[in-house]
Amino acid sequence: MSSGAEEIEHRGGTDRPQALAGRRVLELADESGVYCGKLLADMGADVIKIERPGGDPARFIPPFWGGEPGPNRSLFFLYTNTSKRSITLDLRKPRGRHLFRQLARRAHLIVETFPPGYLDALGLGYASLRELNPELVFTSITGFGQTGPHRGFKCSDLVASALGGALHLTGAAKDPPVALAGWQAFITACAFAAASSLIALYHASRTGKGQRVDISLEECAAAATHVCGAAKWLDDHIVPRRGGTRLFASVPSGAYPCRDGLAYLMVNRVHHWRALARWVAEVTGNNVLLDPLFDGPSANRQPHGDFLDAVLTEFTSRFTVEELYREGQKRHLAITPVRTAAAVAGDDQLAARDFFVPVEHDAGQTLAYPGAPYRLDETPWRIRWPAPRPGQHNRGVYGSELKLTEAEIRSLEEEGVIRSGWPPLAHPEPSRESASWNSLPAWRVRGSAGSWRTAGPR
Amino acid sequence: MAGPWIGRLMAYCGAEVIKVESRDHPDVTRQYIPPDAPERGVETQLSPWLTDWNAGKRFVGLDLRHPEGASIARRLAARCDIVVENYSAGVLERLGLGLAELRRARPDLIVLSSSGYGATGPCRHYRTWGPNLEALSGLATVSGFPHRPCTITQYAYPDVASALHGLFAVLCALEYRSRTGQGQHIDLSQFEVTVASMGHVLLEFLANGVEPPRLGNRSRHAAPHGCYPCAGGDRWIAIAVASDDGWESLCRAAGKPRWRSDPRFATREERVANAAALDEEVSQWTRTRDAYELMHELQRAGVAAGVVQTVEDQFLRDPQLAARGFFERISHARKGEVVANGIPLGLTETPGRTGLAGSAIGADNEYVLGTLLGMRAAEIRRLADAGVVQGEHAPLSACRGANTG
Repeated sequence: MSSGAEEIEHRGGTDRPQALAGRRVLELADESGVYCGKLLADMGADVIKIERPGGDPARFIPPFWGGEPGPNRSLFFLYTNTSKRSITLDLRKPRGRHLFRQLARRAHLIVETFPPGYLDALGLGYASLRELNPELVFTSITGFGQTGPHRGFKCSDLVASALGGALHLTGAAKDPPVALAGWQAFITACAFAAASSLIALYHASRTGKGQRVDISLEECAAAATHVCGAAKWLDDHIVPRRGGTRLFASVPSGAYPCRDGLAYLMVNRVHHWRALARWVAEVTGNNVLLDPLFDGPSANRQPHGDFLDAVLTEFTSRFTVEELYREGQKRHLAITPVRTAAAVAGDDQLAARDFFVPVEHDAGQTLAYPGAPYRLDETPWRIRWPAPRPGQHNRGVYGSELKLTEAEIRSLEEEGVIRSGWPPLAHPEPSRESASWNSLPAWRVRGSAGSWRTAGPR
Repeated sequence: MAGPWIGRLMAYCGAEVIKVESRDHPDVTRQYIPPDAPERGVETQLSPWLTDWNAGKRFVGLDLRHPEGASIARRLAARCDIVVENYSAGVLERLGLGLAELRRARPDLIVLSSSGYGATGPCRHYRTWGPNLEALSGLATVSGFPHRPCTITQYAYPDVASALHGLFAVLCALEYRSRTGQGQHIDLSQFEVTVASMGHVLLEFLANGVEPPRLGNRSRHAAPHGCYPCAGGDRWIAIAVASDDGWESLCRAAGKPRWRSDPRFATREERVANAAALDEEVSQWTRTRDAYELMHELQRAGVAAGVVQTVEDQFLRDPQLAARGFFERISHARKGEVVANGIPLGLTETPGRTGLAGSAIGADNEYVLGTLLGMRAAEIRRLADAGVVQGEHAPLSACRGANTG
């Protein structure tokens, strides 16, 4: 398929093959599911993002590039929609549904995040699409899955992290439970969904049979916490809870103060403990940590955690973070700096590996993006182009690929079925259409007079 | 731990996964001392982490430092589609098991090398555990409440994120191989996975040159958005309201018309700007309420709300996880049966299943060496006597270190 967008040239070149080239994916996803599409698209799949006429409200999730809202300024949206194509389509209109069925007939995979039953009610659920396309893999990412008494519950990253057990295991004991930044429940579920979808595609290409992939945000969060999960609790009857920066089973572990910041230190094997104890003795002249009382596995040191922390704090406070990091690693100790975003952006290892990739946007602006999570030597990961504008690929998809005439496309635009223009029209009806889109902000659009007004979906 | 979990997920989906260990370098999940009977020392088969990270696999014990051990490993690689390894950079090459040798054994092999910092670069030899990566990636700094400079998970999140991204990368390589017949090498840096998983947060610095603020549980475009105290010790409910509809529903469900008419909370922008005052109001209201009752009331009203659950809550008090059979019962050679958190891949036509919960080092020597490689029993015995093939009949030679994942 032609991309309709100019490929970004960078390391690895555009001549290299991509692992998922030739796979056609339709994405109907809100912020809970877009990272799944990004994983697929950056590996070469043709991911067509289907947006409501006017565009996806996720385009207005703050913060924005340059601080100024705009349909292609949301940093979340830009990051999670690289290498995708965008078409606009109103699934509530009969002609929109007809077009969607035509697209589904040609697709290998659909990734969607509507509430259970929503697409079925439109006649576009898995049951009807599999009739058109038996090999189709239909992946749904929802708060609680397609079955069970809570399938209709409302969800968000925070709620999934709460029920999934992640919140109770994060932060300081004295504070309320707290979420990781960056919607990690969504990210985890999307990584599960992307892997599952490939497994289902593999099965489909061997057997000719597609399937429904039913991803639950709550379950994915619960799976992510498995090291503090049922196997351990039922074994030792200790309910794990958040406990600051020290890990429950590793002594010592935690964020220790240096002269100019914090460093994270974790000892997990006895030879690491001995190396640390020797180092402390060398530097401080204090041999107390060499006492056999503290030798052996962490369990031996567990009763003395506070004492050890006091000795170690006195030790680490003599160094800068950088000194402790480099010297500790020289001694094979797992010591890392507690980094700010700025420090990560300037990290020597990431720089040596060309991790950050420049991506050229409209108007010649370039932005450095966090790069490949994995490096495949034959089929490299690649941001082929930045996040598309709403409906940027309408003509390519509806015209070149579905073979609609220009007159047909125009009539679809006039009816509002595939209207791509900006700003969007307010939706005429009060929208309860999608609970999975309800966690989004009302769209804010700069009107012609330069004043803010609120447009669709409510 | 990222490597072992990739194998665990593959085994769950029906792949035959063979774990190669030695007595000198047993998997770290085996380093477990029963807390109720520490005098028994390390109990490698009883470790619950063995179940979490290594269930469903076959276990073969080989001394790879011995040329015959390395040779067997190469023969095994020749029978495999995928090799997942997380040795320090250079170690496998020294053992004669580097990428070139493995590819000679099987040209279309897919090899995933998982490491903290990646296979290249000045820090490729550096060591990390999951929480180190939370700190290194910036995740620990951008997460949490404003007054906390470092917020860490107890569940080593980067290990999980790395395993899932690693699995996806391997599946991409398999897709490419089935199309072209060509294998490849995958260099997985857990540092880079963690940064990519929070890439949009980091982008605020890359695009605008400012540090992303620590928001705690708050949101820049939704309020109320947080964990609110409930009746009982350390009981909390998460509530997330982004839309005006959701706000009206919350006011109705709480019986607080006063909130709705309060000008500080009139619009989403006002609610976000006055989040501190709003959080205080909501906390006053939730403080005396039962968390589960409240969750159901709010969900009935259409408000996203969920109890902050522990594993005990999930196991005993979550009808949704129960109805979907989330927790998996897995048979265990010595305990009879164990229960583990499920693997939510959600494949409805080809659901997964876990075989044994994890057994001893070398428990499957006969199957792997005899049945798969066709070695004679006498030959296996000779190699066992020479210490090349290893089982757990002898005590672990070096029960090194602690017991965590």
